Amino acid sequence: MHELSIAQNLLDIVSGQCLKNGFKEIESINIKIGRASGIMPDALSFAFDAIKTDTIAKNASLNIAEIPVTGLCRDCAYEFTVEEEYVLFCPSCKGSSFMITAGRELDIIDMEVS
Amino acid sequence: MKVKVATKILEANDRIALENRRLFDKAGLFVINLMSGPGAGKTSVLEKTLLQDSGLKIGVIEGDIAGSDDAERIEKLDAPVVQINTGGACHLDANMIYEVLSDLPLNEIDLLFIENVGNLVCPAEFKIGEDIKVMLLSIAEGHDKPLKYPLMFQESSALILNKMDLVPYLDVDIEKIKRDSLSLNPQLKIFEVSCKTGKGIPEWIEWIKNKAGKD
Repeated sequence: MHELSIAQNLLDIVSGQCLKNGFKEIESINIKIGRASGIMPDALSFAFDAIKTDTIAKNASLNIAEIPVTGLCRDCAYEFTVEEEYVLFCPSCKGSSFMITAGRELDIIDMEVS
Repeated sequence: MKVKVATKILEANDRIALENRRLFDKAGLFVINLMSGPGAGKTSVLEKTLLQDSGLKIGVIEGDIAGSDDAERIEKLDAPVVQINTGGACHLDANMIYEVLSDLPLNEIDLLFIENVGNLVCPAEFKIGEDIKVMLLSIAEGHDKPLKYPLMFQESSALILNKMDLVPYLDVDIEKIKRDSLSLNPQLKIFEVSCKTGKGIPEWIEWIKNKAGKD
């Protein structure tokens, strides 16, 4: 959910950096979205394309790397990756005392500018 | 030319959440983010809490898409309250909270409840600077909800199971709700409450007094 406001935040951050450094145009942006972040990549791309018109990112392509959800079990120290967008229990010992170590990212990595 | 950005997209929200946290700490305030689906009984629980002689001076921030019904109910009980209308956003964010903090006497209250927008999904995803999250589930919502909405159950410190007076009229498996909730979050403190009869309210009050450091 909230892909439109996330897209706006993204645009504000990259535009701000361009303004500060005198870049003329953004060609592409690389971001990573964790599968447990609640953000759907397709919806984010759609929203970004809708709002980038007439901005410094008007021709920018958005490249999204999806990060799988990984966890570390506090009970049995098993490190695991799941297919789903959330973890209910450790696949090894079925315990529910775990930490999510990856999969909730919503980060801008870098961008290609001219 | 490649330029490193290395920024969290929600960095602005998280930064403001930290500032809210700093202001709360400065005022010696304990802050609870109260969440649930629409109609589970958040405002009723707050009314019941305010009516008890807890010894705590309580303030409330109400969050709704529109209207001021909830703030009006709290105002009748003489607690400092401010209503946020999100105008469409389905959750409160850190900036919305920041904008209203100067409307509350932070130094005069011990405990601040932030009643989030009725929604079992989004509020759990956005930091606003609270100490803990407490969620409500009314038993009329069904015993399948914990496994359908895992994040909110996992993020909360306590679950208020409300409307327990309806047990005789519903085919709801209370033990399943508790079992599934605890399997998602073994540390979850569960209160069986009825705002209608008052059942469970004293135990809830003891717990928040303990949390706010006033027991």
